[in-house]
Amino acid sequence: MDELLQEFISETQETLEALAGEVIAWEADPGDRDRLDAIFRFFHTVKGSCGFLNLPRFERLSHAAEDVLSDIRAGNRTADPATVSAVLGIMDRIGELAEAVAVGAALPNENDDFLIGALSALPDEGQPQARAATAPATARQGGAQSGPRTIRLPLSLIDQLMNGVSDMVLARNELSRKLRERTADPELDNVFERLSTCVADMRDVISKTRMQRVDRLFAAIPRMVRDLGRELGKRIDLTLEGGDVEMDREMVEMVVDPLTHIVRNSIDHGIEAPIKRRAAGKPEAGSLRVEARQSGNQIVIAITDDGAGIDTARLVEKSIAAGRLSPDAAARLTEQEKLDLIFQPGLSTANQVTAISGRGVGMDVVRANVERIGGVIALDNNPGRGLCITLRVPLTLTIIPGLIIRAGGQHFAIPRAAVVEILHDNNETLQISDVGGAKIATIRSVRHSMIDLEEVLGMEKPVEAGPRAIMVVRSATGVPYAMGVSAVDNHEELVIRPASPLVMATGVYAGMTLPDNGKPMLLLDAAGLANAAHLPNIIDDRAARQQEAAADAQTGVEMVAALRFEELSGERRLLKLSLIERVEDVDARLFGRSGGRAYVRLDGRLVPVANGLSQFDRDKVSALRLRDDRREVCYPVAAVLDIVEMPAVPDMVAMQGLLSGVAVIDGEHLEVINPFALFATLPEESIVEQARGRCLLADADDGWTREILAPLLRQAGHDVVLGLPGDAIVDPGDVVLCTGGDAAQAAEIMGCRVVHLRASPRPVGPQDGSIYRYDQDALMAAIAGRRA
Amino acid sequence: MDQLYLLATLAGTRIAVDAREVEAVVRLTDISPVPGMGVHVAGLSALRSRVLTIIDVAALIRGQATAAERRGLAIIANISGHSYGLMVDGVSDICRVPDGELPLRGQLDPAWAPYARAIVEHEGHPWLLVSLAAFIEGGAVAQAA
Repeated sequence: MDELLQEFISETQETLEALAGEVIAWEADPGDRDRLDAIFRFFHTVKGSCGFLNLPRFERLSHAAEDVLSDIRAGNRTADPATVSAVLGIMDRIGELAEAVAVGAALPNENDDFLIGALSALPDEGQPQARAATAPATARQGGAQSGPRTIRLPLSLIDQLMNGVSDMVLARNELSRKLRERTADPELDNVFERLSTCVADMRDVISKTRMQRVDRLFAAIPRMVRDLGRELGKRIDLTLEGGDVEMDREMVEMVVDPLTHIVRNSIDHGIEAPIKRRAAGKPEAGSLRVEARQSGNQIVIAITDDGAGIDTARLVEKSIAAGRLSPDAAARLTEQEKLDLIFQPGLSTANQVTAISGRGVGMDVVRANVERIGGVIALDNNPGRGLCITLRVPLTLTIIPGLIIRAGGQHFAIPRAAVVEILHDNNETLQISDVGGAKIATIRSVRHSMIDLEEVLGMEKPVEAGPRAIMVVRSATGVPYAMGVSAVDNHEELVIRPASPLVMATGVYAGMTLPDNGKPMLLLDAAGLANAAHLPNIIDDRAARQQEAAADAQTGVEMVAALRFEELSGERRLLKLSLIERVEDVDARLFGRSGGRAYVRLDGRLVPVANGLSQFDRDKVSALRLRDDRREVCYPVAAVLDIVEMPAVPDMVAMQGLLSGVAVIDGEHLEVINPFALFATLPEESIVEQARGRCLLADADDGWTREILAPLLRQAGHDVVLGLPGDAIVDPGDVVLCTGGDAAQAAEIMGCRVVHLRASPRPVGPQDGSIYRYDQDALMAAIAGRRA
Repeated sequence: MDQLYLLATLAGTRIAVDAREVEAVVRLTDISPVPGMGVHVAGLSALRSRVLTIIDVAALIRGQATAAERRGLAIIANISGHSYGLMVDGVSDICRVPDGELPLRGQLDPAWAPYARAIVEHEGHPWLLVSLAAFIEGGAVAQAA
């Protein structure tokens, strides 16, 4: 019985979570039968099970909800917001009850009658309701409930399994060490190899059990958006995307809070009230987009709204008022630095404290939470037009690439992402100086604060032979600094586990890891170390400026990235990489020739071909697609070779022609394409524009027009429309061809250009601007000319 | 009085620990030190695939780290989700105490005060009943102070 009850409770809770979003979606689209059915099914199931389990309150609630939903299904009632609220209320209560049963607490003794009453109350017709329509455009899975077959497992079991596998890996490593000490036995080695592979596979699979779909993260958002929207009288269109991306279970839990906070902020401060939005010329319903995607070993979650954005001027004002910033320091801030003020603790742009947010417990906490799990938060602010907040968090908490370093005779790990560069202290680009006890490392004329890891950790610095390693370390937020260690030993994928709170309290460790040798190792926290050493958090902008100046002075050897490719004629040439939009394989049949110029049909447009080739000896041609600020051009090549650094000014300069000079790369002389010449040789009018616009044939009923003129124009590549479009929009680029005077007048009124055709070879009089209808050259010229 | 107690000696004092708090008692092998911590954190040690934070309890009491060669046994305990090893001088017995927990008498050394809960009587000797969790949480306080 207990087991049954437990299962009922956990199933109910899970369905509730999944359903909350469905109810909101259903409210937005009451005609959606599938969703209604899913919700109905839920209540029906609950009702059935709890009759069996003897849970009368569940039964009463679900029965009432089922009744209403069944009315709606039968079409006797509509799903108005009040009803949806009442249904949500019932769902909440069922959730509360389930929670209470799960922990074995006394059931909250509240009056369910009120909820049931609210459900059956007929909607108040005259009441204008600020309707917060939210329509999550989550991709609906067909056949809502048919997922892959799953079973329910307690988390502790999976953790146990994980530990078991870790133990196995350690045992394997031990065995491998022992085996190496013995004389080689190929047979034994073989068996061991097999065991090894199995263990590795197993570890991979087990680590997958920790993954969870981001859906879970999103589950609570639609409900929250709806409730907040109604409370604040704002309309919000919510879009959720990428729910099928998977991330570590623990990670999902860590991201929930920051994400919730950001969404709340967006609705409360970002998206304006409908009246304000209308005044600003925006649609009344604000749009809020939450999307998740995987990018390498990171999950990117972007929260975009089209609200007011962040008022940086206000931020600065508030900072100054709070005494955090001096006015002259404020004047020197860049826009980005001003924006970063939002991460200052206790700062809010909200004019007043609302129930939802704006208590000053804000973005600083969000950022701290995101950074604690090794994530980064970035803002893209468009004042008046919206804000996009991007969270980047590692795929999993547990495995990160790390560097093993040695200091004070002990090994430590540091996340590789935190290390910018590693040098030996005898490197000539590095200079370490000591000023009043402060160490400064100057690397290529950029000054960094320098610390020795042993000193920060209070270890003894052993006397060593050989150079020490200097690492330039950057935490997610802080300023890079230099850190001296005995040596950098190794690079490994590290399985990170949390260290005990006692150890974390020092602030300089981010966790620990157990390498194969069985000796626990601590993972250093780059930002924590900087704090512990009390490093000033100021970027050496003077040095950065100097570096820029130095770079300017060295223009002689300034290098730019260039693409090395092989021409169809066989030469190897270079083209500046930044000009190339992309490289793609284009079907050779798409290339053609017209009016002495080669072109290629790409994405339904005609694009000029730079080197004038249109015939190829292969089916697929690699093509570089280039673009200046306005025009696009296609450059077919034989093969794309690689990307190299070439001097910005070629070694040998030619001022004329398609080649700007010759550069020597890896001992090979390569011609450099001159982008200026490339675009200059393009036809003045791009083919793209010429092909646009239509030929409107005014006399569609006329046999000659329809049978002879229209095919001719189509052949010439024009879009032909028979008849004047009655009410359709006439583009100024359109040309009207007509034979009768009436139509010409009508066309003139419509404001587009007219080509007048006459049947007789000779003009009627000197004022006659018409064209003989069989004079093809004049006709084409007239169409083209009129369009120019 | 079915409650079992682990009897041990620690910093020269007889102590008793509620056996429900104890996971195991192990002989310590390698300890990797954690630089930057107070003396009472001896370091980290691996127990199979688990990593234990080893607490030098004697250092917490006496304020002086136990010499490496005198490190012997540790009581393994899981305290709020993390595994700790608490170093003790020796372990003598696990047993029931017929009289149960008795209130503290006499003036307790202030060093022990945060950790001691009661007295248990075994074979005519009083043993100071301590709470392992208090060593961890109290240790954090001591470090902050």
